[in-house]
Amino acid sequence: MLSKISETRKLFEEDLSKVNDLKSLEELRLKYLSRKGIVPQLFDDFKNVSKDEKKNVGLALNELKIFTQNQFDSIKEKFDSLSKSSNDSELDISLPGRQYQIGSKHLITQTIDEIKEIFKGLGFSVYEGPELESDYNNFGALNFPDDHPARDMQDTFFINKNFLLRTHTSPVQVRLMEQKKPPIRALMPGKVFRNEAISAKSYCLFHQIEGLVVDTDITFAELKGTLVGFVKQFFGQDVVYRFRASFFPFTEPSAEMDIWWQPKGKEGRWLEILGCGMVDPNVLINVGIDPEKYIGYAFGMGIERPAMRKYGIDDIRILFDSDIRFLRQF
Amino acid sequence: MKISLNWLSDYVDISGISIDSIVDKISKAGLEVEEVIEQGKAFEKMFVGLVKEAKKHPNADKLSLCIVNDGNEDFNVVCGAPNVAAGQKVAFAKVGAVIPSNGLKLEKVKIRGEFSFGMICSEKELGIGENHEGILVLDPNLKEGTSLADALGMNDIVIYVAITPNRADALSHIGFARDFAAIFKRKFHYPKIELNESGKKSSDVAKVEIVDSEKCPRYVGKVVLGVTIKESPEWLKKKLKSIGLRPINNVVDVTNFVLYEVGQPLHAFDLDNLAGNKIVVKCANEGEKFVTLDSKERVLAASDLMICDAAKNVAVAGVMGGENSEVTEKTKNILIESAFFNPSSIRKTAKRLGLSTDASFRFERGTDYNITLWAAQRAAQLIKETAGGEILSGEKDAYPSPFDVRKTSARFNRINKILGYKIEQEEVVSILKDLGFTIEEVDSEKVSVGIPGYRHDIEREIDLIEEVARVYGYDKIPDIVNISVTLDEKIDQASFNDRVRNKLNSLGFYEIITNSLLNSEIAEKFGYPIKVLNPQSSEMSHLRPSMLPGLLQSVSNNLKVSEKNLKFFEIGKTFERKNDKEISSFEDFDETDNLIIGLTGYSIQTEWFDKDKPHDFYDLKGMVESILRTVLPGTGYLIQEANHSNFDLCFCLSIQNVTIGIGGKVNQTLLKLFDVNQDIFAFIINLDKLKAVKPAEKVFSELLKFPKVYRDVAFVLDKTVRSDKVIENIKQASSNLLHQIKLFDIFQSDSLGEGKKSLALQLEFYHVERTLTENEIEKDFRNIIESVEKNFNAQLRGN
Repeated sequence: MLSKISETRKLFEEDLSKVNDLKSLEELRLKYLSRKGIVPQLFDDFKNVSKDEKKNVGLALNELKIFTQNQFDSIKEKFDSLSKSSNDSELDISLPGRQYQIGSKHLITQTIDEIKEIFKGLGFSVYEGPELESDYNNFGALNFPDDHPARDMQDTFFINKNFLLRTHTSPVQVRLMEQKKPPIRALMPGKVFRNEAISAKSYCLFHQIEGLVVDTDITFAELKGTLVGFVKQFFGQDVVYRFRASFFPFTEPSAEMDIWWQPKGKEGRWLEILGCGMVDPNVLINVGIDPEKYIGYAFGMGIERPAMRKYGIDDIRILFDSDIRFLRQF
Repeated sequence: MKISLNWLSDYVDISGISIDSIVDKISKAGLEVEEVIEQGKAFEKMFVGLVKEAKKHPNADKLSLCIVNDGNEDFNVVCGAPNVAAGQKVAFAKVGAVIPSNGLKLEKVKIRGEFSFGMICSEKELGIGENHEGILVLDPNLKEGTSLADALGMNDIVIYVAITPNRADALSHIGFARDFAAIFKRKFHYPKIELNESGKKSSDVAKVEIVDSEKCPRYVGKVVLGVTIKESPEWLKKKLKSIGLRPINNVVDVTNFVLYEVGQPLHAFDLDNLAGNKIVVKCANEGEKFVTLDSKERVLAASDLMICDAAKNVAVAGVMGGENSEVTEKTKNILIESAFFNPSSIRKTAKRLGLSTDASFRFERGTDYNITLWAAQRAAQLIKETAGGEILSGEKDAYPSPFDVRKTSARFNRINKILGYKIEQEEVVSILKDLGFTIEEVDSEKVSVGIPGYRHDIEREIDLIEEVARVYGYDKIPDIVNISVTLDEKIDQASFNDRVRNKLNSLGFYEIITNSLLNSEIAEKFGYPIKVLNPQSSEMSHLRPSMLPGLLQSVSNNLKVSEKNLKFFEIGKTFERKNDKEISSFEDFDETDNLIIGLTGYSIQTEWFDKDKPHDFYDLKGMVESILRTVLPGTGYLIQEANHSNFDLCFCLSIQNVTIGIGGKVNQTLLKLFDVNQDIFAFIINLDKLKAVKPAEKVFSELLKFPKVYRDVAFVLDKTVRSDKVIENIKQASSNLLHQIKLFDIFQSDSLGEGKKSLALQLEFYHVERTLTENEIEKDFRNIIESVEKNFNAQLRGN
């Protein structure tokens, strides 16, 4: 029996050396390893081996089995990888890849996200509020007197005497301060409405982002610093800016921030990008915050104009027409 | 408003300050300069020329051949004007000049064989008059070579300043000069008035009676007799023209001049047309009619303040005069009105009448109640200068209860605290003084001031702080570079929607933003909409009650440009009434945050590896489920058939028994309404409700350590049997070893028998604690087959 085992091993090695293609490899498998092959048959014969021999023969038989299987596997692997590489060479890699559909956020959302990201880094929380607002939240609480020309600054869509489509995101400030006591560091993005004819330059709605900070030691200098930091991150470190005194009923002192805009091949000019100021004490009183104890600052900016400028879009209507050829570009 | 720097220099010394510096500093201090118009720019390369010689053009009868000297050299110039003659001083535009009237740039040209190096201009060509009869002949005393702008006195610089609604005080040259003086630390002064009044008293000739003293606290009437109405003198016309006003006649021009000089609107009445030579200030009778200066008949309200004489209305107070008392060429005697009206009363009337005039614009912002008398005297003086006549002595100054000087104060440490920067006390006091505040008291802690009558916007300490800061200069206050951030809770109410957006992007959807305003026809088809009181147009009269019309419109827009394969989503608010009542509280309507997704056209268009595949119902359903699995992982939801008029094949989504969304295949009639001729699959999710769902708590479950066993099975059953029923049945028939059922094939063919279909399912079995035995799987499998066969009259498909 033992000699038969060593004989088989020798024969196997001989046959193995002759294997030169998949066909001869398969013949080898059939001859030695298949159910009816020589190696399994030797195992069948093992039953007849005498008790004394069983230990030695068993070891030799197992060794043969492992040896033949390993040899076979390793040569098969070699052939497999060979055949695979020959398949790969048939690929035409110039064929177009399978395209998986992609989508995008609206340009306005992307711009809001970018601004949000900057202010979240400065510890701001993000709040939202309703678009159909009360006249009080939109104007009254924000220190717009009744029958005052300041109300003309924002053409308003009214629902009736007491309700309107918010003309700015500032009513979210009012709602927030009525609910939450200082310290407040809040950013409030959203859709706002202005009663203006639709044209390339204006639309009946647009988006704003509003900031509000209320605490005990807030200063105008900090407001300036924060906004300078923002414009540097948003427009680039070398942005040229200025603060200009202005008027908003809900802040005092009030300012507008301009950046120097230099389109290629055209004359540069100052471009207003945001309004800001120290929260007017009347607003704090209206929401039940003591203006002697707390000081606040607020700022607000439109989203459409900077976004349009950044990408050279000159007709605002294209933002709201859902033209896929436009949407795909962002 | 327009400010002429020449005019400005009558009140403040502006010498030595460059225009750039003016624009920069004035803008930063709150009077934003939006435009600078340099008059001289229009006359570049134009000079006073001396016509040395003018003879007939050899080849043209109507042309002259001239030699013009510009102070240095001679030029040949062909001229077509009949009045050109040797010895004249003329407006000579050289090659390169741009003719103001037509924008043409002059070049060297040959006219009928003769070269012409420039042009001799007419008034009209220069844009300074209407005369086109001939060339403009200048004062012979002018030296040739002088720039034409200087020769014509057209070297003014006019700036356009945007005045915020709080700064009515700056709506005049004197008001602007006051700020200018404070900012540049220059001296500022009012012009001197010398009246030379006659012996007759104003009060003997005209009477003023204020009936409504709340709406008209002060009214000055000043009388000038025997005037001659004619064209204004050159200086006056020039001043008005420089700020874009058209001169009319001397009296009207003077009133306009004083308005733009000091900000007090004036009105000149023809005294002879005032019945009883009397002015009565009172409110109109409701419904009364009155013809204003613009020849329009106005219907008055009882709240409108009117200027009347003894018999009739003569002007809508503070807004516009009447036709019946206007100054005409025949006017001899005039009454000048200089009044202070209640701002909100004027605003109401002007708004109601839809009239905004220079006068109403200023009155509604608040004029200076202390300047009325001065302005009337100033006008009288100028009328006498320009129209002759005699100024009657004194004036009727009806001022029943004079205003007290309003007072306020500012604490120095509060200024520093608000600004974050210390401005010296002396500087604070000096700025306030320069702006016209009277300094009542200064101590180490605060400054107390009296507020001038022109500053209606100043009342409180914070108002003074702003004045100090803006004049001191915002850019001198440092930008703090380090800020302290509170460790308060961080909230992001937008983050949920952001996650939804991100998921939809990864599923291939483009975000759209559509108009929230719709026309009534569309709006009413989709819900119970809220109407806008003052819409821009009938196309945008109602708030959207649904997100669907915006989506349909978007698809429609794209089909028009042959973009047919679309995946859109929009996140936005819808608005719906709850009842028929007028909205009087937030309880009367719903404002809902929504997501709509829409699919149309093909998901795949034939490629080398795949065939056309149109979007279908199951794409939509799968997308909805993907969104849920993303934002609420592990939370159970239910998708069921539903009915909604907007959808033909309709299903709804509910979580914990709350309906969260609805959608399906959009109704054909609606598609037609939007001109859409292909199927759209859309689903609308109420984000407020979705956000309110408490997400399932995430708990890690051990990874499976034992093998899963799969069994495939296919049943032939009636077409009408729904797959979810079969799956439900399998779940019930099996033990807890069955964990997953996947429907992997649906097949219909005649070979199966009429009205039959085959459902192929893969069943996944495992146990978390051990390897399954063949027997227990077999037992489950048998039970399943038996149950399905029995309950659905199904047959196991041969395998």
